[in-house]
Amino acid sequence: MLPLSLMNTAKGRPIQVELKNGETYNGHLMQCDNFMNLTLREVIQTSADGEKFWRLSECYIRGNTVKYLQMPPEILDLVKEERFQHRSGRGGRGGQRGGRGRGGQRGTWGGRGLTLN
Amino acid sequence: MLFYSFFKTLVGQTVTVELKNDLSVVGTLVSVDQFLNIKLDNIKVEHEDQHPHMMSVKNCFIRGSVVRYVHLPPAAIDTALLQDAARRESQQSTATAKA
Amino acid sequence: MSEIQAYVNERVLVVTSDGRVIVGTLKGFDQVTNIVLADCQERIFSPDDGVEMAPLGLYFIRGDNIAVVGLVDQEQDSSLQFGALRAQPLPEILHGA
Repeated sequence: MLPLSLMNTAKGRPIQVELKNGETYNGHLMQCDNFMNLTLREVIQTSADGEKFWRLSECYIRGNTVKYLQMPPEILDLVKEERFQHRSGRGGRGGQRGGRGRGGQRGTWGGRGLTLN
Repeated sequence: MLFYSFFKTLVGQTVTVELKNDLSVVGTLVSVDQFLNIKLDNIKVEHEDQHPHMMSVKNCFIRGSVVRYVHLPPAAIDTALLQDAARRESQQSTATAKA
Repeated sequence: MSEIQAYVNERVLVVTSDGRVIVGTLKGFDQVTNIVLADCQERIFSPDDGVEMAPLGLYFIRGDNIAVVGLVDQEQDSSLQFGALRAQPLPEILHGA
């Protein structure tokens, strides 16, 4: 399973984001992309020392500032279901992101979309 | 890619990898990739009494970006050959830059 | 990629660049070492007290922050006396510092 597909599955659900500077953001994940840029709604921001809190109705987080995401455990099972749906939907290969990776020279990665873990 | 190839020739040797968090990990080199991520087997952290954090780990993957040094076994390295390969690679890259 | 694949669905111990130690079941990874861990716990080391275990649930760790991913030897791990272990937490890794 690819980490980014798990993140996609978490859309609409509550997650906690910890940034490299130690701040945390708790909110519902609205949007995310392959750079791990995120938008959250109904956010509680906590300072790195855990002393100060802010409420934000919405926020955008640049992917490269992220350290960890904590997600509800149920989405692990949802990722698996979604993948099955994708596969039956279009005859099998690749999944959402067939064109990713760096060109042809790394053949070992070709079949990655199909591994089931 | 020179040091990628270089490390590939060292697979099976015992090396010590010093990380940027000051941990030193000794183990048998299992594999390397193009990012110089390193996989070690039969590992032991040096000064384990002070660094017991990984005591139950025997086999590990080390991200290339956190490696400070790799201590190499001198007997396993042909420095003349390495020097030669380094020259050839730099010649190649200047040649492609001109072309 | 230097075969983290072999660790999938196994218990792994992750050392992060902010010095934390997290143990969990490896569920997935990609080329830049982003990883997903299920049923995680953080092991908090301290010089004065035994190791504290903090449950974290499902965790996604961005590749930039990963230092080491180690396969946990379950047998050896369960024989460790964490309550009696004393150690300084690992230092943070400051890139380029």
